[in-house]
Amino acid sequence: MIQFKALLSKEYKEAFRDKRALMVAMMMAVMAPVMIFALSKTMIKEMVATPPVYVKVSGAEFAPKLIKQLEKENILLFSAVPDGDKRLWDERNIELTIPETFAKDMLDGKTINLTLSTDYSEKAIRSPIRRIKDEINTYGRVIGYKRLIVRGIDARLLRPIKINEQDTAEPSSNAMFISMMLGLYLLMAAFMSGLSVAIDSSAGERERNVLEMLLCQPVSTLKIVLAKLCSASTISAIGVILTLLLTSVSVSFVDLSKIGATFSLDAYSVFVIIVLLLPISFFASALQLFVSFGAKSFKEAQSTVSMIIMLPAMIPVALMFIDDKPAWLDWLPVSGQSLLMEDLFKDVPINWVEVFATGGVTIAMTVALVMVLAHKLKSEKVVMALS
Amino acid sequence: MIEITNLAKNFGKVQALDGLSFTAKDGEITGILGPNGAGKTTCLRTLYGLLKADTGSAIIDGIDVAQQPLLARTRLGIFPDKFGLYERLTAYEQIDYFASIHGLTGSNKKQAIEQVLNDLDMQELAHRKTQGFSQGQRMKVTLAQALVHQPQNFVLDEPTRGLDVMSTRILRNHLSKFKEKGHCILFSSHVMQEVAALCDRVIIVANGKLAAQGTPEELCELAGESQLEEAFVKIIGSDEGVAA
Repeated sequence: MIQFKALLSKEYKEAFRDKRALMVAMMMAVMAPVMIFALSKTMIKEMVATPPVYVKVSGAEFAPKLIKQLEKENILLFSAVPDGDKRLWDERNIELTIPETFAKDMLDGKTINLTLSTDYSEKAIRSPIRRIKDEINTYGRVIGYKRLIVRGIDARLLRPIKINEQDTAEPSSNAMFISMMLGLYLLMAAFMSGLSVAIDSSAGERERNVLEMLLCQPVSTLKIVLAKLCSASTISAIGVILTLLLTSVSVSFVDLSKIGATFSLDAYSVFVIIVLLLPISFFASALQLFVSFGAKSFKEAQSTVSMIIMLPAMIPVALMFIDDKPAWLDWLPVSGQSLLMEDLFKDVPINWVEVFATGGVTIAMTVALVMVLAHKLKSEKVVMALS
Repeated sequence: MIEITNLAKNFGKVQALDGLSFTAKDGEITGILGPNGAGKTTCLRTLYGLLKADTGSAIIDGIDVAQQPLLARTRLGIFPDKFGLYERLTAYEQIDYFASIHGLTGSNKKQAIEQVLNDLDMQELAHRKTQGFSQGQRMKVTLAQALVHQPQNFVLDEPTRGLDVMSTRILRNHLSKFKEKGHCILFSSHVMQEVAALCDRVIIVANGKLAAQGTPEELCELAGESQLEEAFVKIIGSDEGVAA
């Protein structure tokens, strides 16, 4: 116990005096809230506002009322575009062609063919196009209804069925995106924050020739590994908690309900996320120690470990594409936590059995890694690689 | 006391140790001499319990290293071949760290650290971080952390490499003092004058075997040379000199 305390306090001293490693850990935490804040701000703006749309209308003079109606909804003629936006809207090139027979056809009750042409595949144009189409359709429908009413026919006859849509798949895709990002980011934080400490205390110590000295001391390799694991995962956990706290503060400045988000980072969800991610902090640090003890140099450890960081990024993204998720995905480290966080953000009640199951599996795998690593450090292969 | 008996070790096809035997007694400084690749480091690593011998045994104060490596290591103070320091810790913290690993606590630990700091005259260095220490200062810290628990046996692997005259003298004085207290000192070196001046007994290792052993004078006599260096070259150069 004296030995373990000494090992641990030395690891903590080294970790907390390593300003560079701490900077990396804390940078993750500071970047997250800024990113989430900026992202939700722009999304809300895009979703809620109706920015002006500029259309190249040929034959505007044939349908002044239609043009007036469009202008009411901020759909303007290209001639009115301010100089700054001119190039943008010229490139988007939305063209509406009104035939010169518009007024005559309207009088005759014929169908008038308007042509709306642009590059429909471009994402940025989708929203303006939708607005133009909606507006023209509404304009046409109102005229149609009036025609029926004038003839003494109830316009409701045209709508034998009305669908009342109730979307249960809340939150909206945009809000989902933000919470996905947050979940992904938290997993990344768990993997990133402890990274430099893990590499420094394993491959770094080997390179500085202090590992051999330590292995020659009357102390079991298990204690050595555990001390290093504790210090790296503490830094990782601090990174996660700091990320969460700062994000919950920054998110409170944004009204996410405007984009249909139903989650809020209240005390309860922060608590659940911490319970979910603490085992991940241990698992990530164990994995990093395992790999970097096996590496021959600091540099090799760095490049190998950076591949492990892909893990938290890849798994949740891959999960998005699997519609029929096999049950074991709920239990595995990273994927289990990722799915549970998704539930939390969707406001689905948390299944605590799954929380503890995936946490248990994660801890079990961490223990296995530690045992194997402690055994490996006793092997001659590691000793031979020292010099 | 360190007893190495019939130690053999091979790595694949390379026979690093081939039946090496010797004894380093308490109250004596025993030097291991040998050309590069003779098996010195392998022998010392087996002694630390880092490597397992194919045959033979290494026994420290009656404890078999292969059976109880952790217990055997408590009897050892080690000055490694390539010594590194924890550069973000102060010298005091490092010595404290190794003292705690050896189970020292409380006032005992404090006393032991003060003692070793005084012995090595490094009070001024004690509370500075070791980053940027000179080679001599690093040597002192390494020596202090190896000796803080007052080990009965002290093993040094080429300790004077890269040291200036003053640091070498400090080390030598310290070893002599340690010897007088009845500790067992085993040390490997390439510097013949140093071995000749310091060691009570010299062990010459070549090709993983004991090539010769005795006092420096005996070895010179054995080889029929007046200088230890000449004797050394003659002994490892031919198998004639093999005597044990």
